[in-house]
This record gives sequence, structure tokens and C-alpha cells, in this order.
Amino acid sequence: MQKKMAYSFPDEVLEHVFSFIKSHKDRNAVSLVCKSWYEIESWCRRKIFVGNCYAVSPRMVIKRFPEVRSVEVKGKPHFADFNLVPDGWGGNILPWIKEMAGAYPWLEEIRLKRMVVTDESLELIAKSFKNFKVLVLSSCEGFSTDGLAAIAASCKNLKELDLRESEVDDLSGHWLIHFPETYTSLVSLNISCLGSDEVSFSALERLVGRCPNLRTLRLNRAVPLDKIASILHRAPQLVEFGTGAYAAELRPDVFSNLAGAFSNCKELRSLSGFWDVVPAYLPAIYSVCSRLTTLNLSYATIQSRDLIKLVSHCPSLQRLLVLDYIEDSGLEALASSCKDLQELRVFPSDPFGVEPNVSLTEQGLVAVSLGCPKLQSVLYFCRRMSNVALVTIAQNRPNLTHFRLCIIEPKTADYLTLESLDVGFGAIVEHCKDLRRLSLSGLLTDRVFEYIGTYAKKLEMLSVAFAGDSDLGLHHVLSGCESLRKLEIRDCPFGDKALLANAGKLETMRSLWMSSCSVSFGACKLLGQKMPRLNVEVIDERAPPDSRPERCPVEKLYIYRSVAGPRFDMPPFVWMKDEDSALGLS
Amino acid sequence: MSEVDMAIIKPELMKSYIWLQTADGSIQQVEQEVAMFCPMICHEVIQKSMGSSKNNAISLPQRVNPAMLSLILDYCRFHQVSGRSNKERKSFDERFIRMDTKRLCELTSAADSLQLKPLVDLTSRALARIIEGKSPEEIREIFHLPDDLTEEEKLEPLKNTTDDPRIRLLNRLYAKKRKELKEREKLKNVEVEEERVDDRSVDDLLSFINGDSRDSKGIKTSKSKKKNRRRKDQQKSTSGSEATKNHNKEPNGLNSVCRSAEVGQKIQPSFGATSNLQDAEDDIFANKNEFDDADIDDEIDPALKEKLDREVEDFRRILNSNWPERMQEILSFGQERKPAHFSLNGNGSIRSTDDFAMRILPQLASQPGQF
Repeated sequence: MQKKMAYSFPDEVLEHVFSFIKSHKDRNAVSLVCKSWYEIESWCRRKIFVGNCYAVSPRMVIKRFPEVRSVEVKGKPHFADFNLVPDGWGGNILPWIKEMAGAYPWLEEIRLKRMVVTDESLELIAKSFKNFKVLVLSSCEGFSTDGLAAIAASCKNLKELDLRESEVDDLSGHWLIHFPETYTSLVSLNISCLGSDEVSFSALERLVGRCPNLRTLRLNRAVPLDKIASILHRAPQLVEFGTGAYAAELRPDVFSNLAGAFSNCKELRSLSGFWDVVPAYLPAIYSVCSRLTTLNLSYATIQSRDLIKLVSHCPSLQRLLVLDYIEDSGLEALASSCKDLQELRVFPSDPFGVEPNVSLTEQGLVAVSLGCPKLQSVLYFCRRMSNVALVTIAQNRPNLTHFRLCIIEPKTADYLTLESLDVGFGAIVEHCKDLRRLSLSGLLTDRVFEYIGTYAKKLEMLSVAFAGDSDLGLHHVLSGCESLRKLEIRDCPFGDKALLANAGKLETMRSLWMSSCSVSFGACKLLGQKMPRLNVEVIDERAPPDSRPERCPVEKLYIYRSVAGPRFDMPPFVWMKDEDSALGLS
Repeated sequence: MSEVDMAIIKPELMKSYIWLQTADGSIQQVEQEVAMFCPMICHEVIQKSMGSSKNNAISLPQRVNPAMLSLILDYCRFHQVSGRSNKERKSFDERFIRMDTKRLCELTSAADSLQLKPLVDLTSRALARIIEGKSPEEIREIFHLPDDLTEEEKLEPLKNTTDDPRIRLLNRLYAKKRKELKEREKLKNVEVEEERVDDRSVDDLLSFINGDSRDSKGIKTSKSKKKNRRRKDQQKSTSGSEATKNHNKEPNGLNSVCRSAEVGQKIQPSFGATSNLQDAEDDIFANKNEFDDADIDDEIDPALKEKLDREVEDFRRILNSNWPERMQEILSFGQERKPAHFSLNGNGSIRSTDDFAMRILPQLASQPGQF
């Protein structure tokens, strides 16, 4: 076939065109078109996302993309949130910071998730990047308020400091004082995870008062309710606000101050915090409720009655995070008042209790699926489910993209028919053609995986526990789910066969986690030795995995693709093939 | 006739014109206010006094052919009129930009050479929109670009890594360290041994001692072992949560200390995350049920089991073939789309290794939710 002559652009023109192409997916496509585009694109790439810090080395990234200004890196696998990844496993950001300190002096943004960040890393960041603007540490750990003090003191152009859900060693609430009096550029501050009983409140007030562009402020629990008014008066332009403990003695003057302060905040769209709620103070926020798009009540132990009153004031709500105190009746009220709802997360107030403590069943979710036409994302903890409810939800809401159902007791059958929930979840994947994330629970056989493999073509992330009967289940998923990137499995009877038969698939995914399954050490060794672009990590804290016979099932298995080869920072309880074993020398 | 008389009779003659010459030699005159909208032309007129007559026509850059010049002048003619509203301008732009990709490319290039930034932005954005959402192959088709990235280039980073002498040394040191640890473990593996011994019933031991030809059971993951493990998990999670004071990961009333011996995990609801719809801690799995140790194979339909066995055997055969040869094969594929080498199902869901190689480098820097 004759190829027409390509129209050739000068490089600057191409670069200019690329500057309008923002999404990572599109940038990646552009870089693969041809040699010249590859080179130009790599020079003008400003933002990179590394979904697995061990998939590539910092040096490789720097070599390929020399002009980066914004970096996002993720470390531990998702199941680390459930303590399945032992301490010391890895995911330390320091090697990255060290390399970037030299190579990217103009780096502006660092966003990390599930990584170990020490004070040394924070101090290095503070010292190395003169124009540093954004630091987001999501579910990170390993640092203290000393590290934060270094950032506050040195980063004159800092706009965003967001510590969401990280574990911080609170040495002193006074790190806030390290923001110089001349510093005024703060736009977003999230310190909701800090535990310190003494946040230097006066420093906080002064900081808030002198930063006119502040739009997001999420306080920690220690900030008392009676201080909120003075904060809000200093920052009436806030768009997102998180309270501290929302409790105080009932006093009319405190209430009216609070209500007045809230009513002054005309731009407020998102509220969170609400630890220890005293319901009598809830009406203080009513003046902003009509404009609220996000409401996070996942700490608020308030009863259904108060919750119903609250949500009925919020017709513009798009995201709601709430405890199961909302009960079915509250969800029905939600379904009738909040027609713009896109995302719902219902968390369990008492997950370890044997008997249900609240009247929240599958009916609540069915009601929301019927009443909220824009509902796309669901995370729902409950104690019972039925196939008929799941089928109804699927038919009502084919636009679902995220469906994470957590029936608290493993292997719970359909409470009406006592059958498995295969058919219900099958309906979900069949009807919701754009489903990207799915978590399964309840009694499930291999059949549900057959449905998933057949229908869930856009599924990117799947979480499975206590499900399936045999390797066939895993085989269905690995062979059928074309878009699968992350698969996490625990306590399922999946063994070597499906894994080995679909080894190639693993190179097309970001990662696979399997714990308490039946994959043998021998299979892991085989995979590791023969697939050079996969890192096969066997995690076993009881004893070195290679001290056992090959038939032994491994405790935990984490497989991820990588061009960086084996990592060098493995603790002793992690086994991975090394070069010697790959060559058959050990 | 005086100049003034001429102006009354033929007012358009009094408009000033600029003379422009395109690379093909053709010369034309263009209304001054229109032409001057282009910074490059403006510069020639003002700084170098060019363009006032046919003889000193401004030579336009090569990338501006007559067709492109015509388009550009249309653009300038519209936009140089000051009274227009933003809405009008936007509307004009949207209509103006509708042309085939080839012309769009030429136009971008031409506008760039005349330094006409607003038009460069307009055309660049249009090109960006064409590129967005497409695969590399599709983009190549549209712009007639060569497929000249080689496999070798993509595999390069990995080769570099393994060749690095420091890395080889580290690997060897690490292997040594692990061996040492293994030795140490063997010395104090009493606990482990005891677990193994526990697996054998008294009967077994007796019959062994008495010389019965009973197969040694070997190491079997028994239920008791699982219990040990689970208890350890629980201890870990409870001690972990207490030690780290993980109260901020738990809502009110949720005590991370396990109340029943069975429960192994804490739940961690997501909170505070305003913009991140995709990530949150969620599922809780109460670790109650014992894992069934029965031979899993028994559950599979024998025909399917056979199929799976065959597939695994195929896979093993392929893997056990000479590895360097394999790599050579892959590297020499070039543009061919061979079927997946390592997947043995037929439905093509597993991409070939060369596909993976093609994607791996940029995909490592991909969007959340993509990698």
C-alpha cells in the first residue's frame, strides 16, 4: 500500500498541538505514533503518573521525560488498607525524591498514595524544589510534623498541602507556625488526619486570615466547634470545608455565631469532618445545604431522623458518604430529594457485631438506584442481599461505573432463595456496560466469574474474597476481562493452573494480588523465572518461602509488571527471583 | 484629476494595499488592515518598509502557499473588524475550522510562520481534538506517519538495567543475604517443624514406625495451620491498629480491636476525599470460614479440567523452550501482529508480548485508572 507523504510540521508547532492534549492516555498514544512524535512528546511532557512505584525506576523516568513538573506515584497495593501488606514491605519514596532533586529542580507537584514518606524525604523536597506548589500525601505514613514544618518553612510558593488519610506522627501542633508571616499563597489545606490535641489554633487562624485564595480547608478533630465561626469569618470564600469535632455544650450564642458564619460562606459546596456530632448543632449548616454538592458524614454518628432532615435540605447533592445509621428510610428520603446524586458510600457503624444494629438492608440501595438517575458510583456495606435486588439495581442503573458491594458476612447467600448471588452480580455486569470497578461479596460460585469474563469488558479493577470453587473462576476473569488492570483476591480456591495458563495476561495488567489462595511456590518460581517483565513477589512472614517445598501454597502473592527488574529494597519476608535463580545458578 | 477628486469618484482606490509574494512566485495585493493583522507582515511593513508596491512585495515564508494565504486572509478579514462580539467570533471560528485534516495541518503551519497566534491556537486545538481518543495506529493513518519505533528501542530500558554492573552485584549480594537468612531459619525452625509434625496423626506415625508402607503425607496445609495463620493475622491487625493509633481511619464507634476471635481485618471507610471517586478503603471480610483443603481438581468438570491441563502443558512447553531464541523471535517481528505467545486461549484478550512492549513505556506514565 502506498503511503502518502506525511505532512511535516516544525517541532514547535507539534509541541504546541501537544500542549492541548492533557490526558495521560492520549499523551501515551501520541508518544507511540512514530519516532519524531515520541521524542517531541517526551520533551514536552509535564505531568507523569506512575501507578506502581516499582514498575519503573526514577532514573528511567527522568531519562525519558526530562522536563516534568508534576509527578504522581502510587506504592502499596490496595489491600494494604486491610493490613494484608506487612510493615516494611516497601514503597519508600526517598529514592525517587533523591533522583528528582537533581533532575527536576523546577518540580512543582508531588502526589503520592500508599507510600512510605519519611521526614528525610519531606526535608529534601523542601530544600530541592524552589517552585514547589502541591504536596498531596494520600494514605501515606512514616513522617512526622517535623517534616511538615520543613515544608511550611521553605516552600514559599506552596499552594496545596493535603494529608488525606495519612498516618502522621504528631510531635507538635506547632508546625503550623513555620509558615512565615509573609506566606499568603495557600489554596488548599487538609490536615484532617492529624491527631494532635493541640493544634496551634492561633497560628491556624492567622494563616487562614492572610491567605485570600484559600478554597479548601479540612480541619482535624481537635479543632473545637466554637472555633469554627472565627475561622469561617476569616475565609468566607471557602469552597470546601471540613469541621473538627462537631460537638459542644448547647449554647444559643455559640449556635448563632456558627450559623451566621456558615451563612456568610456563599461559595461553600463541600462539607466534611463532623466527628462526635451533637445533632442540635446541625441546623447551623442549613443555610449552605441548598448549594452543597458533597457531604461527607462518614464519621457522624447521628441517627436516621437527623440524617433525613439534613439530606432533605440538600437537593443539589452529588456525593454522599454516610454511616449506615441512615437506614433504609433515610436512603428512601435521599432518593426522593437528591436527584443529582452520582456517588453514594454507606459505611458500617458496627461491622463486627453479629446482629444488625440498624435497619439498613438491600432495600435502601434499591430505592436509591430507582430514584437517582445519575447514580454512577456505589460503595455499600450491608448484611443481606438478594439476586432480585441486584437484578433490579442493574436494570435501574445501567450507567453504573463503580459497584462495590460488601455483604459483611462472607459467603452470605441470597436471603430469599438461599442460592448464590451469581445471577445478581451477573445482571450487574451484563447491564452496566461501562462498569470499571467491581467488588464482590456474598455466596458466589465459579459461575459469577463466567458472567464477569463474558460481560465485563470495560472492567478495570476487580476485588474478590471468599468466592469461587476452582481455578476455572480465575481463568474466566483472566481470559475474559479485556480491560482488567488490577485484580485483588483473597481467600479463594484459585491455584496454579489458571495463573500459569494466563501468564501472558499478567503483563497487560498493573498488578495481581492473591492471598490465602492455593498458588504453590513452585508456580511462583516458574512465573518469576520465565516472565522477565513480571516481578513475582512471594510474601510470607512465617518463614522464607524458599525454605518450604515447592508444592506449598504461598501465603501472599503480589505480581506486577515492571521494566525496572527486581527491586533492591525487599525485606526478608519477600521472596522474588534474582538474577542467579533466573539463570538457574542458585 | 486631483487626488481628492479621485477619492470621491473611487473611494476604494484610496485604501492602502500591501503586496505579498508567495513561494510559487505569484504576487497579490491585499487590503492593508487585513494583512497587517499578521505580525510577520506587520513587521516587514513597519521595520523594513516592504510591501508598498509590486516590486518590493513581501516574500512570505515557504509554508504559506496561495490557498493557505487565502484562508488566512479570510480569517484576518473577519477578526480585524473591532466591533464583533465574542459570540460572533467564536461562531466564525467554529465554522472556519471545518476542513479536512490535511488542510488543517497546512494551515497550522502557515499560521505559525506568519506568527498569527490566535489562528495557530485555533488550528492546534482542532488538531488536538482530532488526536484525542485515538490509538497510535489511527493517528498514524490520519497523519500518514511512519511506524518507525522499533521493538528494541522499547526494550532498551530493561536491558540497560540488567547490564548495569552495580545491579548485578547487588543481586548477588542479596542472594547471599537471603541464603544466610535461610540458614539461620533452618537452625531455629523448630516451630515450623513442629507444625509439620503436627500434621501427621498418631496413627500415621505408628504405622511408619511399625514399617507399614504408607506414603508420607509430606507437608500438607492443614486446617490447624490455617488457624495459626489467621490468629497471627488478627494479632497483627489488632496490634497494628493499636500501635499506630489508627483512630483516624475508623469512624466513631468502630473499635479496631477485634471483638471476636474470628475477625481478622479492620475496615477503613474513605473520608475526606473530595475529588477522588475511584479510591477508597472498602471491603471488610470477616475471616470466619475455614478454607477447604480438599483437592481442588475434584470440583472441576473433567472435560474442562483436561482442557486446563492441556493449556498448562502447552504453556510449560513454550516456556521451557530456549529463552534467548524466544527473545530473538520477538525482536524480529517488527510490524507484524503475531498472535499472543503466552496466552493459550483463543479469544485474543491477551495481547502479544510485542504489543505489550509497545505499550509498556508510555503506559507506565498513564492516567489514574489506566495502568
